[in-house]
Amino acid sequence: MSKTARYSLQRYERQMMIEGFGREGQEHLKKAKVVVAGAGGLGSVVSIYLAVAGVGKIRLIDHDKVKLTDLNRQILYEDKDVGKGKVDSGKEKLESLNPEVMVETVSEKITESSVLELVDGHDLIVDATDNFATRYILNKVAVNRDLPFFHGAVGGFEGRATTIIPGQTACLKCLYRRAPQPAVIPVIGVTPAVIGSIQAAEVVKYIVGIGDLLTNRLLIYDGLSLEFMVIKLKRHPDCEECRHLAGSRE
Amino acid sequence: MSVKVRLHPYLRKFTSGQEVVEAVGRTIGDCIDDLETRFPGIKRRLCDEQGNLHSFYSVYVNSSDGFCPEELSSLVKDGDELIIVTVVPGG
Repeated sequence: MSKTARYSLQRYERQMMIEGFGREGQEHLKKAKVVVAGAGGLGSVVSIYLAVAGVGKIRLIDHDKVKLTDLNRQILYEDKDVGKGKVDSGKEKLESLNPEVMVETVSEKITESSVLELVDGHDLIVDATDNFATRYILNKVAVNRDLPFFHGAVGGFEGRATTIIPGQTACLKCLYRRAPQPAVIPVIGVTPAVIGSIQAAEVVKYIVGIGDLLTNRLLIYDGLSLEFMVIKLKRHPDCEECRHLAGSRE
Repeated sequence: MSVKVRLHPYLRKFTSGQEVVEAVGRTIGDCIDDLETRFPGIKRRLCDEQGNLHSFYSVYVNSSDGFCPEELSSLVKDGDELIIVTVVPGG
């Protein structure tokens, strides 16, 4: 056995012990190509846990620079990163956490015209963005390219998450018919920690092929009352984005 | 029509902490008007001055196989369950 193979066996030993995971699951993770759209509070948590789990390639997209006000929640960054590009600092941190992971950075805004190229060649998209305009762009490309889409959103002590499999489950437009106005959102760091961890767990489960996904279910987390509520969803019959797709509407 | 309304924690201060309350009405908007008669202030929290639902709230209505977000003008049926939650946009 090569030194690299021994290293990997040890690095991922504890997760490969999980029933249904094994070396095969780890191989699936190694081969996976994941888009993490947004490198803020959610993107920090999602990308860190996907990196340490051994996801082979992460494309990290964010056009922002690190601000001091980000540091209460965006755990990819430190004081020394303030003023630097998020994806550059993020890549450095992620590759330091796990040198086996390839992190590709894209420091540009996600737009209708750029999104197709940004997700091309990847297996799935993680929604770690901070606004609904971008989420709708990602949802549309996910639906049209048949890419699983892992939604998360936060505000204050509250979070939301759902996993979207186009044609089989409610999409983001089924779920949110209208977008709230963009605003500076109050948030405590533990909220993206909770929701980002759930998104990362969903991605790992999807890639490895174990467990039940958070599909057709909206998780509503309220940290102040410490309640988790799950709403069973169905595809909206009038959804402008996914109604053309065949498949179960259950 | 009589429906059950499950309230987001932020709205329970209007209902003395009750999570689920009854409401009557033909549409979702009617049901919110009915809630306002018993829980003053709740409509002001949910709707703007024109009576439209604020974009940071969603009302989900059940059917046999799951919930969908609906408009205030949507009709409700006896026994429906409505869930009112905030929409959080941050990342």
